[in-house]
Amino acid sequence: MKQIETARANLRRKFEKIEDKNAILKDSEFKALFDGIRGIEPDKRSEYGKAINDLKTEVKSWIEESDEQDNEKEPIDVTAPWDVNTPKEKRPNFFNTTQGSIHPITREISDIVDIFQRMGFVVEESREIDNDYNMFTSLNFPLGHPARDDYDTFNTDEGLIAPAHTSTMQNRLLKKYKDNLANEEPIAVVVPDRVFRNEDLDATHEHTFYQIEGIFVAKKVNVGNLIATLSAFMNDYFAQNLETKLQPFYFPFTEPSFEFAIERPDVLKKNDSEEQKWLELGGCGMIHPNVLFEAGVDPKTSSGFAFGFGIERMVMMKNGIEDIRHFESANLKFLRQFK
Amino acid sequence: MKFSINLASYYSDVDYNSLPHSELLLRIGSQLGAVESVEDWSKKYHGIVVAKVVYCQKHPNADKLSLCVIDDGGVTEGVDRDENGNVQVVCGAPNVAQDMYVAWIPPRSIVPSTYNKDKFILESRELRGKMSNGMIASPKELDISDSHEGILEITRSGAGKEPVIGEPIVDYYGLDDFVVDCENKMFTHRPDCFGNLGIAREVAGIFDKPFKSPYWYTKSADFELIEAPRLNIENNLQDKVPRFMCVALNNIEIKSSPVWMQAYLTRIGIKSINNVVDITNYVMHLTGQPIHAFDFDKISDRSNSAGIRPRMAEEGEVLKLLGDKTIKLSKDDIVIATDRQVVALGGIMGGLETEVDENTKSILIECANFDMYTIRKSSMRHGLFTDAVTRFNKGQSPLQNDRVLWYAMKLLSELANGKQSSNVYDIASFDTKDDQLNKVVVKTDFINNRLGSNLSDAGIKSILENVEFEVDVYEGIIEVTVPFWRMDISIPEDIVEEVGRLYGYYNLPVELIKRKAKPAPRSEIREFKMSLKNMLSGAGANEVLTYSFVHRRVIESTGVDPDKWAYHLRNAISPSLQYYRTSLIPSLLDKVHANIKAQAGNEDNEFAIYELGKVHIKGHNEEGEENLPKQMRRLALVVGADKKTSNKYSGSAYYLAKRYLDLITDNQAKYEVLDTFEYPMTSPYRKGRSARVSVNGQILGVIGEFKQKTVNSFKLPEFCAGFEIDTDILQSSINNRKYVPLSSFPGLKQDITYEVSDELAWSDLYNFLDAEFKVASAEEGYKHYLYGLDIYKPEKSDFKRVSFRLEVSHKNKTLKTEEVNSLIDKISKVVDEKFQAKRI
Repeated sequence: MKQIETARANLRRKFEKIEDKNAILKDSEFKALFDGIRGIEPDKRSEYGKAINDLKTEVKSWIEESDEQDNEKEPIDVTAPWDVNTPKEKRPNFFNTTQGSIHPITREISDIVDIFQRMGFVVEESREIDNDYNMFTSLNFPLGHPARDDYDTFNTDEGLIAPAHTSTMQNRLLKKYKDNLANEEPIAVVVPDRVFRNEDLDATHEHTFYQIEGIFVAKKVNVGNLIATLSAFMNDYFAQNLETKLQPFYFPFTEPSFEFAIERPDVLKKNDSEEQKWLELGGCGMIHPNVLFEAGVDPKTSSGFAFGFGIERMVMMKNGIEDIRHFESANLKFLRQFK
Repeated sequence: MKFSINLASYYSDVDYNSLPHSELLLRIGSQLGAVESVEDWSKKYHGIVVAKVVYCQKHPNADKLSLCVIDDGGVTEGVDRDENGNVQVVCGAPNVAQDMYVAWIPPRSIVPSTYNKDKFILESRELRGKMSNGMIASPKELDISDSHEGILEITRSGAGKEPVIGEPIVDYYGLDDFVVDCENKMFTHRPDCFGNLGIAREVAGIFDKPFKSPYWYTKSADFELIEAPRLNIENNLQDKVPRFMCVALNNIEIKSSPVWMQAYLTRIGIKSINNVVDITNYVMHLTGQPIHAFDFDKISDRSNSAGIRPRMAEEGEVLKLLGDKTIKLSKDDIVIATDRQVVALGGIMGGLETEVDENTKSILIECANFDMYTIRKSSMRHGLFTDAVTRFNKGQSPLQNDRVLWYAMKLLSELANGKQSSNVYDIASFDTKDDQLNKVVVKTDFINNRLGSNLSDAGIKSILENVEFEVDVYEGIIEVTVPFWRMDISIPEDIVEEVGRLYGYYNLPVELIKRKAKPAPRSEIREFKMSLKNMLSGAGANEVLTYSFVHRRVIESTGVDPDKWAYHLRNAISPSLQYYRTSLIPSLLDKVHANIKAQAGNEDNEFAIYELGKVHIKGHNEEGEENLPKQMRRLALVVGADKKTSNKYSGSAYYLAKRYLDLITDNQAKYEVLDTFEYPMTSPYRKGRSARVSVNGQILGVIGEFKQKTVNSFKLPEFCAGFEIDTDILQSSINNRKYVPLSSFPGLKQDITYEVSDELAWSDLYNFLDAEFKVASAEEGYKHYLYGLDIYKPEKSDFKRVSFRLEVSHKNKTLKTEEVNSLIDKISKVVDEKFQAKRI
């Protein structure tokens, strides 16, 4: 049939040109063919329809062939600095420095970590897959405890967990550094890393985000020390002396537990209303004796505090970023604004 | 958790009246828990007064309206009055009658039920030709209950006192409440704070005033023994139901509960139903102890021998719940059943068949204690999150059941005419006559050390006694007897929390820790990763972060089988987040097309995006933590350019990607043609245009162009390539560059070109040549630097010409051209022997 033959030729020509080979299946040629069925004599219509379907099958096979066309391109010398016969001006070179960027989350974590390092904390990483023991049990969440309901975790088929907080590292880090205590040195660690919550996405909610966790354990560490440490950090971070406020809270892994807020720094202040006065940042508390004991640290002789807060919110507030989804979008228009 | 300040003020000496709300909220926020919202009820009722209907007749022009004249005692200003000082109001309610006391909303006042939405302000206006000044209000309009069948009739029994004409309604019913809603999360460990009494006690403690629980709550109840037929009450499930109490009452008269109770329930967000249901709700919100009322006749109809017991459900049993939802039970559900059938899901919700309704004459009250874990699981299994679940899954005290039941019976007798018709059944797993309260011994020093405070024995004693702990102090040793409702206190740290919170954390001295000058250990992994980022971004690349979870399609697009390699999430929120990634490359490739299309911000539409992240592959576990997948730290980079921009390059994008990889490997990387494509890391690449990368013998990863299937699936541009390497291996295998002292003698430059087989790898030639110069340098004292200059291959030939430039100097003399030429000649001879390379 002539229409089919013309269409096949057109499609082939287009197919050679387009980059997205799959798009050929949605090409208007097919629609035109189907629309043309009205002009066909009724007794030939079924034959015509079959021909269109055959053409479609054939075009699909072009895509499959194209998928397999890995050997079509000549092999290259993978050890060379450039391809053969490349004139000097066409050789690969780095892009302009002004085009480069470091992710704003990386920058913020660096700024934060820098302060804690100056305060004597060591920096560790968290994990992206952990088990129930580290995420819950070692942190004094008994099995089936309702406090677990506050953490909407992702779980794998094997029952492993995508950690919903960086505290998933507490037990390991207490164990790793517990010999410090025998040497009259504190356990002082911060963990800035990625965490996950089973939560729907919108402009202010991400299922994947960053948190920084801190733990400090030594002899006779008290609540006043916790407040002082957080204040010292915040004052340095915002380059301004700020009031710090604790609000009672409940976490199974600290006793007592708090949420902490700071007086809103000038750079983030919109007006003088009461709502604008305080900035709630995160949770903290004195590490629960069961958590210390579980890691082999004697809660009778040592005590300590832990704290944690989110990174994205800080970056968003400081830069006026309107949508949290930009961070993981890999959108260069967003990223290249952060040098 | 909503609680009423009116109720709190009833039980303590805190002077709520003179306490500004702002101060109250500040203290609650900093010493109890975050306040979610507040509602000031007093403002809602401004202007509304008790009035008496002195005259009532049918409206001459409307069948369903009445024309009333009311007496407000003359207290309302600016309203038209008749010669007796009374006010005319048109009323549409069927129950309005002469001599009735009513709530009158005068003109210019707001209808309370509209207070929080679009405020509706009344006025004087004609209704069917008769002037109506304001309105006579229904309970619903007053926001006291949902009832809207008629106006609120103010009676002595509804308020507990005689109506006074002209008294503001807010005073008459005590509606001037301030309701505070605290975040539930704060009370996860505080079952007592799910009752208003519990919170009232805390607030008293916060303001340093002693709290006094009602008399019926502090002592075990004495129940009267009566002559009554035995009920068939059992508890054979004492491990899951530590206490099970029941009593029957007859002579019940179902009606509305009194206005004060309806109003209280409304304020804390509970709908009023009838007196019996309201009493069970009231008692629960007061104490935190849920109780359930069954219609006893309906229970009897469904038993062989009247009574109930808790038991585990049988698989497949069904129960129709209040609200008409039918659930299929599992063997892990606790149910309340007669000897014939299930009548309630224990601790969660009652059954529809045995519910109390307007015809109920006798009731059976159940007041039990349930295992919090079982309740929580059942609640999640059936998706039932009732007020009872909220309380039982925090673990209520089994010592309060008798007291709460006693009080409920008292209210049922007073407000529903209930008469006890059975003895009180109390089947517990412990001796209920011997209340063993927890004792915690803690030292004053311990408390002060943990808080950084300087509290005295007496100070601590008073703080704890305010909230009804029993405290014995002897020379710095404090023995605390924990009240039965405090299920959260068992260790000294719990007392620290109690004292610190009630004392006020803001009162604590704040002091930084003293520390040694010893530096904290370096974080080498982090430093290394930062140095990679600084190098790449300094070279114009862009760091991106992408999700750790990817769509099945993203993995499959690179020819990898997700089922074989990838960890699968069983509760992903969307298909696009179903698998842990096995490699970073697919995540980057997934972002190429969108950025090309968006022409991201510069004339040349090209970029290098990279990510440092972790991947996990099934079958690889951590050393030392064998039950966990090994986390592999990776760096991946992808370069891409649109067609137009890529015209400025000649040859494969591979070489641009390689440029970046050579940068971060400090030119120490070795490239070998990739010949296996079966692993997640190698699978995306194109044969003949990809390489395995190693540094000093350690395999780092893979670099290359992508295979056609991958290109097609991700709609990649023609000019596109990338690499993925293991950063831990890079960090451990890369050598630090050694400094070479500068020579003070001028050096020479010489270009060298060899004609070699097309098949010879450029680096084989380069490395050999460089090594030969090294040997010579070591022997003769040269310093040399060798780099590529050109690679030329005539069309259709089987050879290529490779040019290098040699920069050479000597450590203690000025080199002559002849010397360098003879050095090159000598080495070229060796090169020729090795590669049949003809020097041109």
